[in-house]
Amino acid sequence: MLIKGRTWVFGRHVNTDLIFPKMWFRPTYEPGEMASHLMVGLDEDFPSKVKRGDIIVGGLNFGCGSSREEAAAAMKEAGIAAVVAPSFGRIYTRNCINVGLPIVVSPGIDEQVTQGDEIEIDLGQGFIRNPRTGYQARLPPMAPESLRLIQDGGIANYTRRILEERRKAATQTGS
Amino acid sequence: MHALSKIIARHANRESVEVGEIVNVTPDYVMLNDRGAARAVDLFRKMGGDKVYDPDQIVVVFDHHYPPIRQQDSVSQKRTREWIKEQGITKFHAGEGIGHVIFPEKGYAFPGALIFGTDSHTVTNSALGCLATGLGHSDIASYLALGYNWLRVPEIIRFDLHGGFKPGVCAKDIALRIAQLYGEDAAPYLGVEFAGPLVARLPMSERLVLCNMVIDFGAKSGYIQPDETTARFMTQRAPNLRWTAEATDSVSDYTRTIDLDVGEIDSLVAVPHDLSNIQSASTLSDVRIDEAIFGTCTGGRIDDFRVAASLLKGRKLAPHTRMMVNPGSREVYLQAMREGIIDTMVEAGAVVGVPSCGPCSGCHQGMLAPAENAITNASRNFRGRFGSPEANAYVASSATVVASAIAGRIASPAEFMEH
Repeated sequence: MLIKGRTWVFGRHVNTDLIFPKMWFRPTYEPGEMASHLMVGLDEDFPSKVKRGDIIVGGLNFGCGSSREEAAAAMKEAGIAAVVAPSFGRIYTRNCINVGLPIVVSPGIDEQVTQGDEIEIDLGQGFIRNPRTGYQARLPPMAPESLRLIQDGGIANYTRRILEERRKAATQTGS
Repeated sequence: MHALSKIIARHANRESVEVGEIVNVTPDYVMLNDRGAARAVDLFRKMGGDKVYDPDQIVVVFDHHYPPIRQQDSVSQKRTREWIKEQGITKFHAGEGIGHVIFPEKGYAFPGALIFGTDSHTVTNSALGCLATGLGHSDIASYLALGYNWLRVPEIIRFDLHGGFKPGVCAKDIALRIAQLYGEDAAPYLGVEFAGPLVARLPMSERLVLCNMVIDFGAKSGYIQPDETTARFMTQRAPNLRWTAEATDSVSDYTRTIDLDVGEIDSLVAVPHDLSNIQSASTLSDVRIDEAIFGTCTGGRIDDFRVAASLLKGRKLAPHTRMMVNPGSREVYLQAMREGIIDTMVEAGAVVGVPSCGPCSGCHQGMLAPAENAITNASRNFRGRFGSPEANAYVASSATVVASAIAGRIASPAEFMEH
């Protein structure tokens, strides 16, 4: 899984209140609605500037705080190709995996990228590269279970598959 | 194995598990709040879900947007009520308070349990000696459909707390001190156990505050080894419930232990907008306070109300300071009424709202205007959490919040205890 994209760089301890402020919470969302509020707690113009295929680079503990899944889902909907940081909030990490958004731990990456740099991430081979500076680093291995969920397109596809298997099994036993 | 590993193993139907391993577990209870229910049910249907795996494991609590102030929330709550009925879910609490306050009160949290919730502060319950953790909406939706979800067995760090508190200092100040010393990422993905002679003396209300705050150090769950205090609490709350406490095998089950003498801790305040920006309350006396926000899953229990009453009795709020009070639960509200605490608060000038998350949910009365300063006994001082992104939120203990409301500026509770 090779990902290349233009970067947007954010600081340390960016909490999910900032990524998706609660004033935009809704019980259900129209298509594109979540993406239209992405990162507005830090930059009101971000939704109009970000393009599909872009990469978000955060500092330590990116996505800490509230469990709101919108913080991950809005990125997925905006077409963010990956989010990279030295460390992440735990629930945000799960949420990214579950919505099928590649979430990449890379120590010190926030000091190796200037906003606008095009970077490359290879999840299969496990490296990250900034061609502008020549920086290259190996990525800490990702749990195979997590990688599989991301590659499957998230937990919704997984759940659908298991439910179908159960239903098939129930029909066979029933008949 | 650490007790938390044993809890994971038991809920995975396994003899043992290893740290770092990912296993599928079936929880005892799953809390869905109003927002979580609306989103998770929507996603559950999109995943092809029809009947939930086990309606008896599900507890629905309306606390964030209850009573609803926007029509979209009234509509979604109506749908959730219909869904609850259709699914045969009987554990439903609307208007009874905050999920994380209700769970221990009603015996949903118990030693050895595994609890999921659609909210990051689900970790609060871990004070009972269980594993309690917040999950996203898709995670909960998948559980609703399948009856399990995955957990990674976490490494554990232990804080050994000893010494005696200075006057006016309490568990909340310990949590703020940990944020100050070790940062908001003190325990990423880890389990955090609190132990030591001080913890043994702490009442359950203070233990719940400690464990409530672990999410804001990045943790998966807190943990306190069940003891006599826990057993007494359970006898009171769920006399007929059978529970089994787990115990940790050896010191090698901890990746790190940290010694903390609480006698060194002052009344502390997290200043805007990060929880690790900590200063002593006594050094912040030039900070004007426009609003005190009192309640939430961190500071909305009866012991917090008792502390408030002891400071407010015979006093008034500063003329330029308002105080928004939301009891953590209906039970807290009733008890505070019985003890005359609500009278004391209202006479002092406070405004009392419904048992709910209050302004901390960002959807209730008490929002801040630009350039206003608030002090709260909630857990987070994040920018924009209580209204305007241009407002400033200071996080402190219940005692410091009330002392500051009386002074009209940030004040240490010791100032008022010396009278």
